[in-house]
Amino acid sequence: MTKMTATDTRIHPAAQMYASEVAAGTLSRREFITRATALGLAAPAAYGLLGLVAPQAQAQTPVMGGTLKMQMIVKAQRDPRTWDWSELANTCRGWLEYLVEYQRDGSLRPTLLESWSASDDAMVYTLNVRQGVKWNNGDDLTAEHIAHNFARWADSSVEGNSMASRVSALMTDGQLAANAVEVVDAHTLRLHLNAPDIALIVSLADYPAAVVHPAFDGDDPVANPLGTGPYLPVSYEPGIGAVLERNANHTWWNAGNGAWLDRIEFVDLGTDPAAWVAAAESGEIDLNYQTQGDIIDILEAVGLPRSEAVTASTLAVRFNQEQEPYTNVAVRRALMKAVNNSVVLELGYSGLGTAAENHHVCPIHPEYAEVANIGHDPAAARAEIEAAGLGDYEFELISVDEAWQSETCDAVAAQVREAGINIKRTILPGATFWNDWTKYPWSATEWNMRPLGVQILNLAYRSGVPWNEAAFANAEFDTLLDQANGIADADARRVVMARLEEIMLEQGVLIQPYWRSIFRNARPNVHGAEMHPTFVVDVVNYWKS
Amino acid sequence: MDPLGWPEILIRIAQQLLPVWIAMVLTFALSIRFRRRLGLYGKLFDSGVGMVGFAIVIFWLFTALFAGWIVTHDALSQVSQMRNALPGAALPSPDGRYPYYLFGGDALARDVFSRMVMGAREVLRIAPFAAMISFMIGILLGLPAGYIGGRLDTGLTFLANLVLAFPVILLFFLLVAPEIQETPLPLVMAGFLFLAPILFVTILLNSRFFTQPAKRNLYVGVVLAIGAWAYLGLVFGADPTGIWAMSPNLLNVFVAVVFVNAPTVFRIVRGITLDIKTRDYVAAAQTRGEGPWYIMLWEILPNARGPLIVDFCLRIGYTTILLGTLGFFGLGVSPESPDWGSTINAGRRLLTVYPHPALVPALSLMSLVLGLNLLADGLREESLKD
Amino acid sequence: MLLFLSRRIGMMLVTALCLTFIVFALTNLPAKLETLAKTQAGSRMTEAEVASWIERNGYGSPMVQRYGEWLGVLPGWVRTEDDGTVRGRCVDRAGTPEAAGDRCGILQGDWGFSTRFRETVLNVLSARLGATGWLMMWVLIVMVPMSLIVGVLAGMREGSRTDRTLSTLSIATTATPEYVSGVLFIALLASSTVGLSPLFVSWGWATGPVLFQGNARSALDSLTFSNFTLPVLTVALYGMGYIARITRASMTEVMTQQYIRTARLKGVAFGTIVMRHALRNALIAPFTVIMLQIPWLLNGVVITEVLFSYPGFGWTLYEAAINNDIELLLASSVVAVVVVLITQLISDLGYVWLNPRIRLS
Repeated sequence: MTKMTATDTRIHPAAQMYASEVAAGTLSRREFITRATALGLAAPAAYGLLGLVAPQAQAQTPVMGGTLKMQMIVKAQRDPRTWDWSELANTCRGWLEYLVEYQRDGSLRPTLLESWSASDDAMVYTLNVRQGVKWNNGDDLTAEHIAHNFARWADSSVEGNSMASRVSALMTDGQLAANAVEVVDAHTLRLHLNAPDIALIVSLADYPAAVVHPAFDGDDPVANPLGTGPYLPVSYEPGIGAVLERNANHTWWNAGNGAWLDRIEFVDLGTDPAAWVAAAESGEIDLNYQTQGDIIDILEAVGLPRSEAVTASTLAVRFNQEQEPYTNVAVRRALMKAVNNSVVLELGYSGLGTAAENHHVCPIHPEYAEVANIGHDPAAARAEIEAAGLGDYEFELISVDEAWQSETCDAVAAQVREAGINIKRTILPGATFWNDWTKYPWSATEWNMRPLGVQILNLAYRSGVPWNEAAFANAEFDTLLDQANGIADADARRVVMARLEEIMLEQGVLIQPYWRSIFRNARPNVHGAEMHPTFVVDVVNYWKS
Repeated sequence: MDPLGWPEILIRIAQQLLPVWIAMVLTFALSIRFRRRLGLYGKLFDSGVGMVGFAIVIFWLFTALFAGWIVTHDALSQVSQMRNALPGAALPSPDGRYPYYLFGGDALARDVFSRMVMGAREVLRIAPFAAMISFMIGILLGLPAGYIGGRLDTGLTFLANLVLAFPVILLFFLLVAPEIQETPLPLVMAGFLFLAPILFVTILLNSRFFTQPAKRNLYVGVVLAIGAWAYLGLVFGADPTGIWAMSPNLLNVFVAVVFVNAPTVFRIVRGITLDIKTRDYVAAAQTRGEGPWYIMLWEILPNARGPLIVDFCLRIGYTTILLGTLGFFGLGVSPESPDWGSTINAGRRLLTVYPHPALVPALSLMSLVLGLNLLADGLREESLKD
Repeated sequence: MLLFLSRRIGMMLVTALCLTFIVFALTNLPAKLETLAKTQAGSRMTEAEVASWIERNGYGSPMVQRYGEWLGVLPGWVRTEDDGTVRGRCVDRAGTPEAAGDRCGILQGDWGFSTRFRETVLNVLSARLGATGWLMMWVLIVMVPMSLIVGVLAGMREGSRTDRTLSTLSIATTATPEYVSGVLFIALLASSTVGLSPLFVSWGWATGPVLFQGNARSALDSLTFSNFTLPVLTVALYGMGYIARITRASMTEVMTQQYIRTARLKGVAFGTIVMRHALRNALIAPFTVIMLQIPWLLNGVVITEVLFSYPGFGWTLYEAAINNDIELLLASSVVAVVVVLITQLISDLGYVWLNPRIRLS
């Protein structure tokens, strides 16, 4: 935690409530921090409500200077709001900053905002833009600039603009609503939502929400590196690498609290972990982006200890309910019964996570409710498949060619096979897989973590939403979900959530084997670079001793 | 249970391979006994190199054939706690299964030994078959190109050179891509490629027996009936009995491999034909008034068999390597398939800690290709002595 | 001679034309264009968005017309957006509609734009071909002398123990594809936990943690013995056996010739016979094979460059293929055809030059 002032002294009633939930043990500390800070509480104050002292991020004093080499995929750049890979954002974090940042401990840190506050019904947000921030072309950052960014994010006519779905509470007819963003003064904005949205500020920490200058028009933030951050790109070659260097001609607003490194080199070594290991062995990289499975141990053995982040990320092995034979709920549930989630976790993901319960709500979500699971029963699975007349049918499970995903699916397939059900596996290359990812009859999709349980259900399981890959349509589910979206109190929401989770299980929507922990390996002299639950590579805070 | 030591592992593997040993001993005993009556094949047993090569090749051939009896576990089933198990590791609870992983377990806790054995079946099911179709196409086009020459030759040679100018890997990426499966392209190509063997045999018989219509009609009729049956099954997946079937993915791989190999065979056949057609016995046949197909298939082809058989052996090896290349780029057959290329690729990620899942298929692939090359060498030596 | 050359070049052009058309057709299938749209503008786009992207970026017109545009025989597409800006194949390249010509294709010297690398194809390919040039140079420097020496030694005395050993060895290398040997090399020489490196380090024979680097990315900046040895060995090994066997065959044939026998009967020393009389004639066949081997090595180069993440031509071909980078793939196939046909030409000309008994017709 660096120097930071919380100007908003009023404590949101919900935040008080969350604090009592933590005390009662119904809300995890981590989730409390996320949710309280999302409502405008500064992190130290949030910790204060719990009777704790905010942790000091750095025990050692950072050292200036040095070059850091990091393995990471470097993709062709495009307009930040259309980013679909965290890596695209990570290469630009040196000069493009965010309004708020999601921290490793689950708190939100104000960056280009000084503070914010929400009305009790989560319909009006007041944002206080940080004073004294300069763009690297010399302009001052003003509330007008932020309003311009809201307009950009709300423009759904841009193909692939994923911010539009995050700020939908500010939109009408696919554009920013006329009175949704009110510029109060040079450094104050007020947002008027057309529906309560408890997740709005959290969404502004998502990687496509990078703040750009109004003069930025192109679709390549590297060709036109106009930003507020302390670094500038020196070179950028997709597939090969990118280099950032400190911008000597720019005074960064937070100078002295970061930007320790002189130079950061991202090295793209492809997706083959064997190449990363080889590069680590020969000293070509100091740390990698993300490590999976056995590679974690291998990298540790060659002198790069691991760091872990526990997440609500998962692999959704979902059935598409519009495709045969998965139109039959008995078939879906039978296949779920054939699979033992803990074995899939062990064989498909080296046991690096916790087994999940097939309803895509994680115990670390505040509104998680414990419900009776479907149970592992291969004999019944086989009997039900036969009863459905599919005794000789060969099921097909599709996955993308990324190792941990295909290995997990292989493990699922092996379990199904063991139950005496015919199954074959198909692995598609990434470029092809995403062509039809919502339409495959039975396939696996990686879902990253969202801080709230309802966020995932809204994105993926509400009838007719674009990412509803299970083609799940259930009127009761939609009604209950609407209801849950309007309940700020997690305990009250949990009652509704329990029923939502039960519907997910009754309808056999997906096999969701585990919640994954994610890992990174780095040399011991690299600091501040621990794995982040949402894959943020915040190079500004990295340093090398 | 304790894990096994290497001597015990080897003894147990030798036990599992018993059917292979019996078949090999029988083959060698019979072949050496009757080698004077077996033509070029018999002469192979005069050459030390040839015998070694032959032994390796039939070892894998019988392994593939008897794979069902040899394997200790199902090649796809995973056993909990056996991830990356070392060779000779014991199963935690066998429950009637074979109690050891003889060559250890792979990253998904599958038995490396069984996967190696099933991999041999996988490879030997595609490679020789693909090489054979390539040869039939090459012969069917190469003979007339060399014998008749002229425009036909120019056109066919140009086409062959065109395909050969393609980098093989680019061709694979274009032809084996999943998107191509949605188009009718592989089906059309398979339609043409699988027509070749039927055509080949039909012309072969027709040119020989066209003076005896009764016999010809019988032979050609039988060939056409079986051909049409297999053709329907392989190309259109419409065989009602289900004996002839090929998944679209496999068909795609097959088409790509044949497409790459056939032009080389064409060039070899054309070259040999150009050489042989000036011989006296061809001229004699021409003066006898034999038809061109008769001369090509019954006069020229038998005299070209030496180099063609040698190349056939080499080509099976090369096809095995190509299939491995496909596996290496993830374009292979089924993803869980135990074929050696895919297993090498899957195993190499953990090579520095657990070398066995990659080394076993790598050594198998090397030994099979080595065997085929030695066999080809032996055949070449012996056929030159003719 | 001139006629021969011009015919060859004409053939090369026709082949390149046919080949690029096939590549163009296969990369422009509707499903492939959809893949391209998703990699370019967001992997989770809806179908309507994909259709609009394809239409707006000039992939909507008939395939043959776009092939013509790529060649530069047809004018490039031009469209006016709703907001009045003019976009088009040539306009996007030149920046403004005024500066843009009517046509922009191969004939105008414009090789197109790589969607994977966001760079003109010309720049991408020239940089990558340079990198592969270094690799090929070192491969040839290692492979050719080694294989010739092995072949000559084996072929000098046919049937001897040296011959048997070397022949089996060279057969073994041809049975070891790059994806096997490369993997074995990395395990053996470039790992700090297994293989020879830990052994050498514990004996104090090696300074670094590993003997060789198992990743050749740093060779792009500076070529060193440590980072380039393994890729070079991997490519060279597979080709070596074949050339060695051809050399051996050629050598054994020469050694049975009348003039060699005569020389031996005259009592000339064996070494002198080999060096003076046999070598020149024995090297004709290997020379042509070496030239024909170069395009064939390309396969190995793709595998090796991907394995060692060395961004050369093979690596580019791989990246272009998996990302359906149409114009880069087309240019790459042109390069491949030119390499194949030029090496064929050199091999033919060299054959004539080395063997004066043959004259070109």
